[in-house]
Amino acid sequence: MGLELRFSWRNVWRNPRRSALTIAATVFAVVLVLFFVAMAAGQHEQMIEDAVRLASGHVAISGAGYRESQTLEHYVTLDPRLEGAVESTPGVRGWAPRLVGFALASKDGATRGVAVLGVDPAREPQVSMLPERVTRGQFVSPELPHGIVLGAELARALGARLGDQVLLYSVAYSLEGAYDLFRVVGIVDVPDTELERRLALVSLADAQAFYVYGDRVSELAVLADDAGAAPALAHRLLVRLSALDGQRLEVRTWEQLMPGLAQLILLDDAGMYLLLVILVVVVAFGILNTILMSVLERRRELGVLLALGLRPASIFRIVYLESLLLAAIGLAIGMAIGIALVLWFQAHPVPLEGRAAQATELFGFQPLLVWKLKPWNPIGSALTILGVAVAAALYPAIRASRGRPVDALRSL
Amino acid sequence: VKGGRRLRALTLLAAGALVARMAPAAELAPAPAGIDADLLARRAEDVLRSDSSFLEAAMTIASPRLPADRVVRFRSWEDRAGKRSFIRILSPPKDAGTGFLKLQQNLWMYVPRVERTIRIPPSLMLQPWMGSDFVNDDLVRSSSESEDYTHRLLGVDPDPDGGEGRPAYVVEYQPREEAPVVWGRIVGWIDTEHYTPVRLEYYDEDGAVVRVMRFDRTREVDGRWFPHRWIVRPLHQEGHQTTIEIDTIRFDPPLDASIFTTRNLQRWEH
Repeated sequence: MGLELRFSWRNVWRNPRRSALTIAATVFAVVLVLFFVAMAAGQHEQMIEDAVRLASGHVAISGAGYRESQTLEHYVTLDPRLEGAVESTPGVRGWAPRLVGFALASKDGATRGVAVLGVDPAREPQVSMLPERVTRGQFVSPELPHGIVLGAELARALGARLGDQVLLYSVAYSLEGAYDLFRVVGIVDVPDTELERRLALVSLADAQAFYVYGDRVSELAVLADDAGAAPALAHRLLVRLSALDGQRLEVRTWEQLMPGLAQLILLDDAGMYLLLVILVVVVAFGILNTILMSVLERRRELGVLLALGLRPASIFRIVYLESLLLAAIGLAIGMAIGIALVLWFQAHPVPLEGRAAQATELFGFQPLLVWKLKPWNPIGSALTILGVAVAAALYPAIRASRGRPVDALRSL
Repeated sequence: VKGGRRLRALTLLAAGALVARMAPAAELAPAPAGIDADLLARRAEDVLRSDSSFLEAAMTIASPRLPADRVVRFRSWEDRAGKRSFIRILSPPKDAGTGFLKLQQNLWMYVPRVERTIRIPPSLMLQPWMGSDFVNDDLVRSSSESEDYTHRLLGVDPDPDGGEGRPAYVVEYQPREEAPVVWGRIVGWIDTEHYTPVRLEYYDEDGAVVRVMRFDRTREVDGRWFPHRWIVRPLHQEGHQTTIEIDTIRFDPPLDASIFTTRNLQRWEH
């Protein structure tokens, strides 16, 4: 074995330029794979995080039937037992109650249909990006009763500025008319233009009073550790909440609430994997080419070795090891460069500018390119490249071991 | 957008109509020749509305979420020729004084408790009116069943549901392209003798029946057979129903032009 390994090692450097090129191709492929997989992972996580922090968290708990009707008809009644159960479920990064209602917002001659979001000022920052997205004024707070925070587009449409009064009109849960004046305390800028056009935030207490809704809320938005943990967390929550009798609740993950986003990510992943397959195939042919060339070049040498009594299995191992060495060197260098590169980009996200930025904002995402190195990403890349090397070296190695000494010597 | 919406509505209607139309058609008798569907729709509308009218009514809302039915009393003035109407809520106390004024296509609402007037955009014509199963469009009549729709006579129903054994024409109302209409289509049952509407089925743009309105307690008023009770039931909301009972109806009363003004809208003594 030691002898075979030495043979292989020497063979690698027999034609340094060719080997170096093969190694370079492998390094290039490994770096690209790491870079793109990490970019996609970072991008997707960012997209999901942005989306869930504007919507209902990774997991939403609501009254049974709420998702279909989206009306006050279906609700969750807040009580300490329910809150305790959610709070103590492992994997809950944060949660906040929300009351979602429809209303007409009117100021002077302008009227717009708005989505009223009643939020708990203390809990909301745990799950949503809305509080940090207030660009003027401040977020709703218990110190400002009847304060309202408007989406920037909505404020523009109503001609409302900080300190102005806006009338909300709707139908209360009791089916009476609900109307109240709110004072604009803040303007919120969200990446989702459509949402910005109809978002009106008030405190949960004000919303419950406005809709005559008592202790009820529309949903609890729950944040998981990350997007991947959502299904398991949803299951744990469902089990815990089912143990509390009294309320019929439904628990949904972000994938169920935003199937469009889940599909977009799936599609994006599919496109990326296709690209990676092409890359890997190119690397495979690079290795195949190098080894096959060196085998054909050395027909005489291999023939002499066979004539001297080296067994075909040994020849096979020598050639095979050669290609594995090539792949391993490329892999090691590629990993070092790739991981360093990804880690650097992970620490330094790239802000998008101009039209690319506008496009991402239109879809509700932050205009930022981020990378995220997940542990399975380099491991998966390493295994793939090694697997490719193992497969690509098979043919030259078999061919080398099958040579007959007579043929080899005749071509002298 | 409009074209796309129409195309979608058309394909769905084509599919939905096959199923939906087959059902009543099986029991319908063919209509006698020479009946003009447009005229029929016009006469049905004339039973309910005149060039001008005044009415006082009680609206009872039943809903699973209410411990007791909610009753809203209101008065309504309509100047059909001038496309103007005015509604004032009389009770319950919390809503009393709320007013609605429609001038042409514009709708305003006055909220006395905060002394504000809200302009309601046309996009909200399908919003519930005062928490009931009626929508804004039913009350303020921004669309007209005779003018904003094309009509097709489907046949005669010898014993329609809610018709108390009296035969009724069955007419299909298809919205005109440019009309400010909120429904995909309407199928109406119209009494063959008095032209009183018996029943209206409202379809959404996807061709599904979304609500049914029934008319009964028909009595003769000024030569019209006027239904004094209108009941609307949304089909996708279990246990919801709204009934309007009309106590007083006057056709073609003298109406002062000052009724239909924003000044009148905001004139309410607490």
